[in-house]
Amino acid sequence: MQFDLLFGAFGKVMLDPINFLFVFIGVTAGIIVGALPGLTATMGVALLIPFTFGLDPVRGLIMLLGLFSGGIYGGSISAILIGIPGTPSAAATVLDGHPMGKKGLAGKAIGMATIASFFGGLMSALIMTFCSPQIARIALKFGPPEFFALAFFGLGIIITVSGKSILKGLISGIFGLMITTIGFDPLSGCPRLTFGSIELLGGITFIPALIGLFGYAQVFQEIEKILTLPSVKSELKNIIPKLNEIKSVFKTMVKSMLIGTFIGAVPGTGCDVAAFVSYGEARRSSKHPEKFGSGILEGVAAPETGNNAATGGAMIPMLTLGVPGDAVTAVLMGALTIHNFQPGPLLFKDHPEVVYPIFAGMIVAQFVMLGVGLGGLRFFARIINIDRRILTPIIFLLCIVGSYVMRFSFFDVGVSLIIGIIAYFMNYYGFPGSPILLALILGPMAEQNLRRSLIISHGDPLIFITRPISAAFIIIGIFIIITSYYRIKKAMEREALASIAEKEKVD
Amino acid sequence: MKKEDIGIGVGLIILSIWLFWYVGRYRAFEIYIYGPDFFPKILAVMMAILGQSLIINAVLGNSLKMGDRIDPKGFIRMLISIAICIGYLFLTNILGFATATFVFLFVLMTFLKQKGLFIRIFGSLATAILVWAIFRYFLIIPLPEGWLF
Repeated sequence: MQFDLLFGAFGKVMLDPINFLFVFIGVTAGIIVGALPGLTATMGVALLIPFTFGLDPVRGLIMLLGLFSGGIYGGSISAILIGIPGTPSAAATVLDGHPMGKKGLAGKAIGMATIASFFGGLMSALIMTFCSPQIARIALKFGPPEFFALAFFGLGIIITVSGKSILKGLISGIFGLMITTIGFDPLSGCPRLTFGSIELLGGITFIPALIGLFGYAQVFQEIEKILTLPSVKSELKNIIPKLNEIKSVFKTMVKSMLIGTFIGAVPGTGCDVAAFVSYGEARRSSKHPEKFGSGILEGVAAPETGNNAATGGAMIPMLTLGVPGDAVTAVLMGALTIHNFQPGPLLFKDHPEVVYPIFAGMIVAQFVMLGVGLGGLRFFARIINIDRRILTPIIFLLCIVGSYVMRFSFFDVGVSLIIGIIAYFMNYYGFPGSPILLALILGPMAEQNLRRSLIISHGDPLIFITRPISAAFIIIGIFIIITSYYRIKKAMEREALASIAEKEKVD
Repeated sequence: MKKEDIGIGVGLIILSIWLFWYVGRYRAFEIYIYGPDFFPKILAVMMAILGQSLIINAVLGNSLKMGDRIDPKGFIRMLISIAICIGYLFLTNILGFATATFVFLFVLMTFLKQKGLFIRIFGSLATAILVWAIFRYFLIIPLPEGWLF
């Protein structure tokens, strides 16, 4: 680490007004893209790359990094305000963020999301700056058994996002895994469960499914109850979380930051996995797991810290090894290549004039994101005060457009609508939608790596136990499943006893 | 929710049996035993076990209490909104995205009994133009075009 180059890079990014402006443009564009359901940070970065052709490479790259950070954070805004995650990484934020919005605390929820995203992004950017090579060495040891073990560990989180019925949560999860088997089999190329449809050969695309589960289902419920639901006015005073509120969730934020950075550093995972694992761990280790899902600050802080921490984590293998940490960094690699820089170990040696501004740009982008996010809080909080009869059709429109733009396909809109109708009924019969989403994210990784591992080991399942990293994930995953199950069951029993006591008191 | 859970449990078991049988046809394409049917079969077995557990849970009286029930009038309102949406999807290719969107939003707001003609017109027009402009000029993502824009 050459500190003189690092400080020089900070000076270049912060003190040059044009460079700072490009970071600002990137972050703001990222927040807008992230907040629009159906658009992802990956898409935003891909769309902005052509604009960087004529720019100085450093300026172009720091703008893209700003968009990356802003895009991952921006998804929380629509997740909290309208219950639709703007990006897949904000899906876990819906669980507590939207209930907070319904209670009139949308401003506070977005404030917490902003601070949590800032903390996660900043810390992981610092870890990326100072510890990249060491972390990359561990991440490179991941093979098919480790990836399957990680997917198993992630799927174990289903227990913690199942709500009141763990059994129904598991059923939703298995249903989600079944959906992932539609389309071409990744190992043999055999089309499965397509029933002769050409459109289904590519499977059920993730974004339309996400919009169906969270967007359409929510819209249909709103339309059904629109004449009877009371309107909620968002509080516009005290919307920035107080210091003691931040202190109360600080431990969770630190844990989520470490989880997010590590998961981001594993090639092929991403911010969405980091968000769910962070949320699941926060709930599992909480003294009051029964409060998660009802709208608490911790339930917003955990996933938002985790997903933004994964941004720095995902940059680590990209910069050090030339292996993308997730889809966004895969696109960023393209941007580096276009500007004639080859990501990998030699990038540090041959082009420090690019690497150190990337470090500085990533860190500065977090501060800009904090400023833009907190500055826009009052405006964001006012959105929920719009009359439902105006807001609901607009949300309906955003769902249609969001599910269309992924592949410019009306088929995807249709699939999204059907999933939305199914999710609408599922909500009434106690089947949660989050396990389906988790299964859609982790299912393909679980299946491919399970089969690859068993082929490598000639059918011997001990391959998952004999490799240390895989064994660690499997053991931790089983431990988390068992402890989560008992903690949540105990908490539900405590809640049931408390409500019986309350009823007796009233009588 | 006892009856509902038993019905859903039975449905899940039927789905599992069908899936287990249906994916068996993929064996012919794969020489390894961990072929395209391997994972779906595991899922089918797991779903059958969970479906059975749901039925047993319901019979033992451990089903969750039903929360809100579906409001029949609200449900019909929802179905009509979906029909409006389908009409909108057809209209986009005829009228163009922005025009069809304005019509869709205006009709839906009117259907949901939003008072104030001016608010409905202004709200629909502003939203349609804003969304169209963001996708056309900021994101440069093509949207369906028709006779108008």
